[in-house]
Amino acid sequence: MTLAHYMTVAALLFLIGIFGALTRRNIIGILMSIELMFNAANINLAAFDRFLHPEGVAGTTLALFIMTVAAAEVVVGLALLLAIYRNTDTAYVEDYNLLKG
Amino acid sequence: MIEHIVFYSLSTLVLAAAVCVVTMKNTVHSSLFLGLSLAGVAGLFAALGADFLFAAQIMVYVSGIAVLIIFSVMILGRASDLHLRQVNEQWMAAILICVVSSAGLLKIAGAYRGTLALTVAKPGTHEIGRLFMGDWLLPFELISLVLAAALLGAVFFSRSEASR
Repeated sequence: MTLAHYMTVAALLFLIGIFGALTRRNIIGILMSIELMFNAANINLAAFDRFLHPEGVAGTTLALFIMTVAAAEVVVGLALLLAIYRNTDTAYVEDYNLLKG
Repeated sequence: MIEHIVFYSLSTLVLAAAVCVVTMKNTVHSSLFLGLSLAGVAGLFAALGADFLFAAQIMVYVSGIAVLIIFSVMILGRASDLHLRQVNEQWMAAILICVVSSAGLLKIAGAYRGTLALTVAKPGTHEIGRLFMGDWLLPFELISLVLAAALLGAVFFSRSEASR
């Protein structure tokens, strides 16, 4: 297995995530696609650590930081989502037009 | 040989589950596939020899984030959602964007076609602990502050109007 194999998988996962974030109507679907993109970045960091810098663990540590930030992002995102849902009674993003002039 | 089998089966699992996440009509199904995809990514970490990352992926993503998302899908979902279109009308443009970016991303990946792992993977947990308590102490403390802020923010935003 070369580094290119892992980078290709990560790139495809990232593209699937972008596609989902751009096309899903449900806001939870968008959050899930963003999680996929975070995971693609983590695969890349772990692979760089293994192939290019095998004597250290800086890439793994950075991936752990990304994981923590992703967890915080999901928690706050879902709490905001619940608050928005309580006010607008919908989970579809095209109905979120409160700021429209 | 066994390395190839592990890699290809895990990446097929990850990518197929990810496609199901973004295309499934039923949001409950797509959140379950998200859990499967994240578990497959944990397997890829194990194949890369990142042992601590593997454990953290299982604990934080598969048993934390995926479960949280499944819960909120079940809170916010309605029976009428099953008959509605879940993809907006811009999907052609989205595919175009994906194709254009894939050209660049795969070109970068192709530059590392000959890079092989030269050493045997070794346990890294001890080293990660030293790094967190040494050179990366300030980011480590900052990230705990971020987590505390996220906790307070989640509690604040998810309270109902009446109890505020």
